[in-house]
Amino acid sequence: MTARDFTERDIHLALDGELPDEERAAFDMWLEANPEMKARSNRFSADREALRFAMAGILDEPVPARFTTLVAGDGRPRLPQRSRWWQAAAAAVLLAIGGTGGYVAGTRGIGVEDVSADRFAEEAVAAYVVYAAEKRHAVEVPASDEEHMRNWLSARIGLRLVTPDLTADGFQLIGGRLLPAGTGKAAMLLYEDAEGNRISLFVTSESGSYAKGTYTEKNGPTAVYWLDKGYGCAVVGALPQERLAVVARNAYRQLIEGAESKV
Amino acid sequence: MDDRKAAILGEIPRLRRYARALSRDRDSADDLVQDCLERALAKLDNWQTGESPRKWLFTIMHHLFIDQMRKVSRRGEMAMLPLDGDEALTVPSIQVENIASREILDALQAIAPERRAAIVTVAIEGFSYAEAANILGIPAGTLMSRISRGREDLRALLDDRARRRSLKVVEK
Repeated sequence: MTARDFTERDIHLALDGELPDEERAAFDMWLEANPEMKARSNRFSADREALRFAMAGILDEPVPARFTTLVAGDGRPRLPQRSRWWQAAAAAVLLAIGGTGGYVAGTRGIGVEDVSADRFAEEAVAAYVVYAAEKRHAVEVPASDEEHMRNWLSARIGLRLVTPDLTADGFQLIGGRLLPAGTGKAAMLLYEDAEGNRISLFVTSESGSYAKGTYTEKNGPTAVYWLDKGYGCAVVGALPQERLAVVARNAYRQLIEGAESKV
Repeated sequence: MDDRKAAILGEIPRLRRYARALSRDRDSADDLVQDCLERALAKLDNWQTGESPRKWLFTIMHHLFIDQMRKVSRRGEMAMLPLDGDEALTVPSIQVENIASREILDALQAIAPERRAAIVTVAIEGFSYAEAANILGIPAGTLMSRISRGREDLRALLDDRARRRSLKVVEK
């Protein structure tokens, strides 16, 4: 048997499988003789099990397509110069001062448009999750001040924003707010129906890609989005898919008509 | 696809888990994974054959995480400041977590990032002390003290939480 004195440090060693095998028996005896240390050891061990349990599920989550595309894609990987929101600003400056065609070509590469579409939809969904849940502070400017809100948001996001009339679909405008999106700004309009279901319209002029689609997070709301050069719109809600699709198309048509109409 | 890329693909779930431990917010965790994969692909030749891809990828990710933390703290955000248990940002969790899981994940986020990384590499990802010290770029002794301090912090937060809960019950 080893003669050495064990300390609390050995509790961690034992827990992490770093205690030499030949010391194990003596360590166990030491624990038995020191109830306080044994209780500590048990608590740390239980915490570790709880952590393992809490994090085990992540391994089963489906791997996002953008990762598999990135790794499996045969194009040469771009340098860490992604169009992520805090990097895109720098990239835009580089482009403006005579950036190489290489970067432009790069952003047309495989999977990249999916990334920015995903990102846009994620931002729209995040805004919805945060603000649609707010009872009293969902909007900055209420619908009662609609004209002012329209002018203000239009000026901020840099395109003519209309507030689509969605009464045919049962939705009334609650109001809107200004939000960050990508490198720029987005306007969010919030609507509510008689049952209290809310949908948001998330509009930005900061978009460089062409995409449309739907985006759902597990147990989360769905975003129906359209991206075009200089225009991005997402309609987000937790409605049944078919109903959301109908409202979204209606809203999108009015937004586009509004944006294209002359003042 | 070459074998090395296939091996990297196989590690993605574990990279995501580690990233989520470092940053509970799913988006920033996945951004970290993406940066890590891009870096790994750009430096594929640095990966010595025979070396575990897992260790190599974790090392890359950890460097990126450290860089990111530095940038954030330079911007003056308080990312390094451990939050009190109740004040910790509770991200609207998308996956279903039971209360015990949520509490321990909140507590994990509330302890200092370097202690968090030490605990997770060893206790969750199962690296040996030597491997983890290598990944984190610190001496084994430092790793050990981060692990023990981190476990103490975690326990203290959970005890605190339990105490407050029982107080609330009494108040009712």
